[in-house]
Amino acid sequence: MDMAAKFQDQLVFHMTGRRTGDELSALDAKTMRPALFAGYRDLTRLRHDFPLVLAGDATADGYCASLSVLVNQVLESLAPRGIEGERLRKHVLRLERELRAMLASGTEGTLSDLWAVAAEKLASAADESVSKVLALAGSTLKIDGDLVDCDERLPARFMIHAWRHVQAQKAALFHGHLDNLQRKLSDILRAAYAHSEAGQQPEALRASVGGMHAGDFDFGAMSRLVVRNVPKDELPAARRRRIEGSLAVLKAQRFHAPRLGSAGGDAPYEFLFDNIASAVAAYRERLAQAVELVKAIAIAELEARNGYDEADHDPFFDAYNERSLTADDLALFPDYLVCIPADRNGAPENAGLMDTLSSGLPVKVVVQVTDLLEEASLGTGHFAFGVRSARLATTAMGLGGMFVLQAASSSLYRLRNRVENGMGCRGPALFSVFAGAPAAAGEIPRYLSAAAAMEARAFPAFVYDAAGGDNWATRFSLDHNRNPDMDWALEPFEYADEAMQRVSGKVAFTYADFAMCDQRNAEHFAVVPRDRWTAAMIPAGEWLAASEREAAERVPYVLAVDAQDVLHRVIVDSRMMQATRRCLLLWHRLQEHGGIHDSHAERLLTRERAAWEAQKNEELDALRKSVAAPAAADAAAPASAEASAAPAAADAAAPEEKPPSDDPWIETARCPSCNECQLINPEMFGYNDNKQAFIKDVNAGTYRQLVEAAETCQVAIIHPGKPRNPNEPGLDELMKRAEAFN
Amino acid sequence: MVNPLTQCIIKLHEEQHDLEDYQGGVPRWCNGCGDNAILAAVQKLCRDENLAPEKTVFVSGIGCSSRFPHYMKTYGFHGIHGRAFPIAEGVKFARPDLHVFVNTGDGDCCSIGAAHWIHAIRYNMNVTVILHDNHVYGLTKKQASPTSPAGFKSNTTPRGSLLLPLNPLTVTLGVQNVSFVAQAVDWIPELLYDIVSKAFHHRGFSFIRIMQRCPEFLPKMFEPWLHDPGKTLLLTHPDGLQPSADLGRIYKNQLEHDPLDMNRAREIASVEDPIPVGILYQNPDVPCYEDLRGAGKPRTADGIRKGLDAEFDKFTIWPDDESQQRAA
Repeated sequence: MDMAAKFQDQLVFHMTGRRTGDELSALDAKTMRPALFAGYRDLTRLRHDFPLVLAGDATADGYCASLSVLVNQVLESLAPRGIEGERLRKHVLRLERELRAMLASGTEGTLSDLWAVAAEKLASAADESVSKVLALAGSTLKIDGDLVDCDERLPARFMIHAWRHVQAQKAALFHGHLDNLQRKLSDILRAAYAHSEAGQQPEALRASVGGMHAGDFDFGAMSRLVVRNVPKDELPAARRRRIEGSLAVLKAQRFHAPRLGSAGGDAPYEFLFDNIASAVAAYRERLAQAVELVKAIAIAELEARNGYDEADHDPFFDAYNERSLTADDLALFPDYLVCIPADRNGAPENAGLMDTLSSGLPVKVVVQVTDLLEEASLGTGHFAFGVRSARLATTAMGLGGMFVLQAASSSLYRLRNRVENGMGCRGPALFSVFAGAPAAAGEIPRYLSAAAAMEARAFPAFVYDAAGGDNWATRFSLDHNRNPDMDWALEPFEYADEAMQRVSGKVAFTYADFAMCDQRNAEHFAVVPRDRWTAAMIPAGEWLAASEREAAERVPYVLAVDAQDVLHRVIVDSRMMQATRRCLLLWHRLQEHGGIHDSHAERLLTRERAAWEAQKNEELDALRKSVAAPAAADAAAPASAEASAAPAAADAAAPEEKPPSDDPWIETARCPSCNECQLINPEMFGYNDNKQAFIKDVNAGTYRQLVEAAETCQVAIIHPGKPRNPNEPGLDELMKRAEAFN
Repeated sequence: MVNPLTQCIIKLHEEQHDLEDYQGGVPRWCNGCGDNAILAAVQKLCRDENLAPEKTVFVSGIGCSSRFPHYMKTYGFHGIHGRAFPIAEGVKFARPDLHVFVNTGDGDCCSIGAAHWIHAIRYNMNVTVILHDNHVYGLTKKQASPTSPAGFKSNTTPRGSLLLPLNPLTVTLGVQNVSFVAQAVDWIPELLYDIVSKAFHHRGFSFIRIMQRCPEFLPKMFEPWLHDPGKTLLLTHPDGLQPSADLGRIYKNQLEHDPLDMNRAREIASVEDPIPVGILYQNPDVPCYEDLRGAGKPRTADGIRKGLDAEFDKFTIWPDDESQQRAA
C-alpha cells in the first residue's frame, strides 16, 4: 500500500469516524492511556501530595498536611545527615509507602492508628529494632487526624474539614465576646443586688465577708448601719428587664455549639446540609432567633457601656426585624455548608442554587463533579462539556459578589489557603470540585484523572474572590494551572525509538488526550501501527493551531502507550477535535479574565503602536526635510531668559502685632492656665472654652489689679493699657509699673 | 468585637462632652504652678477626642503632679510612691479598652520609681505618660530631685546639689523597645496640647517630659527661656509637630527632625540649652506587650479565686502530715 492510500484511510477516519481497511485498530481505554501517564502506573510507589492528614486540632501549620511533608519533617528532625541516618530514612519511607498502599486498598483511620498498624506490619518482616525506630518516628509527628486519599469522597471530606476549622475559629471569637458580655451584665446585676436592701441583710453580708472572719463581726448591727445608706436609685425595672432578657437570649443561643465542658442547653443547630432546599428552609426557620440574638447582643453591648437611652433606643429595637439584618450581622453566625453529592447536582432540591448564591446568604456550597465528558441532555450527540455542573463555577462568577473556587481534587492541598479564605469569607461561596472520573470509566486512578482534567483545560483551576480587591486583576487568579499563559500544558517527554536511541521533547496535553482515558469516547480514536505513521500526521495541539488549509491535509494524533509501555499514535476524529477546539475557546475566555492575551489590551496596544509609529515617521520626515532645505539663518533668538517669576516670596506679611491700644488685653493663646490673674479678681479675668484667660469685664476691677496681674503673670501676657478711671489713686506710680507690659 | 448593629447605634448616639465634664475639682496647686497648664491641655484633649469619662483612667504616684487624678472627672488611681507604672500596666492589661494616662513627677518617676520606669518602656504598653518635671520635690517642701540642677540649695542639699541632673529623655531613648519620646514646656500651651495629642494617638508607651515651672521653690529656674523665644528649639516635621504660623513667627529657632531618626534624637535629647520642644522619637512598629500577651480576656470570679489560691499555695507551709495527705 502506498503512502497516499495509507493516509486516505486515516483521513476518512478523521472525517467520518469510520475505520476502513484493517490497519486502524479500535482504542481500548483499559489498556491504552495517554503517553504522559506512562510513568504513573502505581501511585502508591510515588511520593506526592496525597494522602493528606486532616488535622484534628488545627496547628500553626494549618488544618491539613501532606503525609510526605510530615514524613520529611520527621526525618529532618530525627535522622542524622549522611549514612548514619540512612537506615531510619529507608524504614520510614517504606512505612510511608505502606500507608499509601493501605489507603489504596480501602483501609481508613487516623494517621497515628494507621502508622502503628503499618509499623507492626513492617516490623514483623524485619528485626525487633525496626518497630522501636518506627514508633519513635511516629511519636514525633507534628499533627494527627484522619488520613485521606484522593478518592471520590475527598472533596466532601476536605471541604467539611476546612469549614469546621473556620467555624471553630469563628465560634471561639463569638464565645469570647459573649462571655465578656454575660460577665459584664452579671456584674451589673450583682452590683445592684449588693447595693439593694436585700443584699445588705445580715445573711448576705455574712456571705460577702467569707468564712474566716465571719465570727468577728456582728452582721445584724452592720446590716442596720449600711441599710441606712442604701442608694435611692436602684436598678430601674425596665433596665433590669432588658439585662435579664438579653442574658437569657445570650445563654439560650443555639447557633454556635457551647464550649467543651460548659453546660449545654438545647442542642445546637446543625449547619451542614446535603441540599440547597433544606439549607434555605433551615435558614428561614432560624431567622427569628437570629434577629433576637443580634438584638440581644446589641442591647447587651449598650447596657454594658451604660449607653442605652430609652427615648432613642426603645423605638429602634421595637422596629428591629429580619429586614434590618445586614451581611455584617449575619457574619456573626456560623455559615451554612451545603455539600451536594455528585449524583444530585441536577436534582430538583438543588434547583435554587443560583438564586441562593445571588441572594447573599452566608452559605458555602460544594458541588462535586465526576463526569466531564457527558453528552448533551438534548441527545444531539454533541459533547456538552458538563454544562449542568462543570460550568457552574464560571456561571456563578458572573453573578459577582461571592467567592468562587474551581479545582480538581488533586490540587485541593495546594489550594488549601484559598479554600480557607473562601470558607472564612462573608457571604456566599461556591466550590466546584472535580473528583476524578469514576473507576468504571477507565483504569486511571482518580488522582491522575483529576490532575489530567486540570492540565487538559477540561476543568481549569481558578479562584474568584469578590472581596479580594476592587479590580478584576486582584480578584481573579488562574495561577494554579500549569502554563497558564499557554494554550495547552507542555510536559517533557522521553522515549526510546526502534534503534534504542533516546528521543526527548515536549508534549502538549490536550483535551483529546484527556478524553481518550474514557472508554465511552473510544469510537473517536483509532490506533495507527508504527509502520503506518506518515508525515501527514501532526500532534493534535499543532493541528488546532494550523491554518484551515493546512489542517485539511493533515490528521491530528495524540500519543498513547499500551500495557507494555509501547508508544502508539492515536488519530482523532473531527468531532472530538471540535470538542477540543471548544474546550480551548473556553480556556481562552478564562485566560482573558486572568489578563492573559487580553484582547482589549492587545487592541489598544496595536492602536497605540500604530499611532506611535506614525508620529515617529512624521518626525523623521520633518527632520529629513530640514536637512535637505538650505540652512536657515541660525540666529535663533535665544530663549528669552525670563526671570523665573520669582514668586515674591511672600515674606508673610510681617506679624500683625496688636496695634498699640489704650485698652487692656491678654495674649489668650499663650495663657498656660495657671490661675494667678483669677486669684486677683475673678470678675475681671475669666477663662474661655479652652481654659485660657481673657479680660471678662474690664470695669469689674481697678487699674491697680490690672497692673498687679500683669506683674504676677509668669508668662507676661497681660497688657494693662491705660487707666480708664483718671481718679484712681496712685495712678502715676501704676502707669510707670505698667510701662514694662504695654 | 462589637456587634455591627451596636457600632451603628453608638455612632448615632455618641455623646458630646465639654471641658467641664472633665473638671474634677479646684486644683490645690500653688498659684502659678505649671501643673495647671498641663491639666488644661489634658482636659482639652479629652474634650476634643470626646473620650468617655468612664473609659478613661489617670494613674499617678506621689508628689504634686500626682494629685492630677483628683482634678479629672474620670476614673483615677492615686497610687503609691514610684508605682504609677505597674498600676497603669495592670489596668491596661485587664482592660485594654480603657484610655490609660500616667502622671508622674521627676522624683516619683526618676528616683524611687526608676526601675518600674525602665521596664514600662520595655513593655511598651499603650499608655500616655506625662512626666511633670519641675526639678524639685515640692510636696515635701523643697528637696533635691534627680533632675535638680547642680548647685541647687535645698533642704536636703543645704550646700548645693553636688551631682549633675539626670536627663529623662536620654534615659528613655536608651531603653530597648522605646517607641515615643517627646519634650514639651508648660508655658507654650499650643505646643503642649499638640504634643500631648500626638502622644495620645501613638499606640504604645508615649513618654512626654514636660518642663514645668515651680513658682514656689524654683521661681527663677525657667525665666531665661520664658522671656527669650530664641532659647526654645522647635522640632518640626511632617510626621511630627507643625506649629501654626503665629507661633512660628515668635519661635523662629526651628529644626526639621525626622522622629524615626534615633541617633539624631539622642543627640537632640542631650541638648539643654536651647530646650528642644517636639517629638524626638516615634516608631509606630514596636509591638505592644498587651498584644503579645493577648490581654483583656474575661475573668470570672471563680477563675480569680483559683488564681489567687494557686499563688497563695506557693507560699503556704504545710505541716508534714498534711502535705503528704495532699500529695496522696
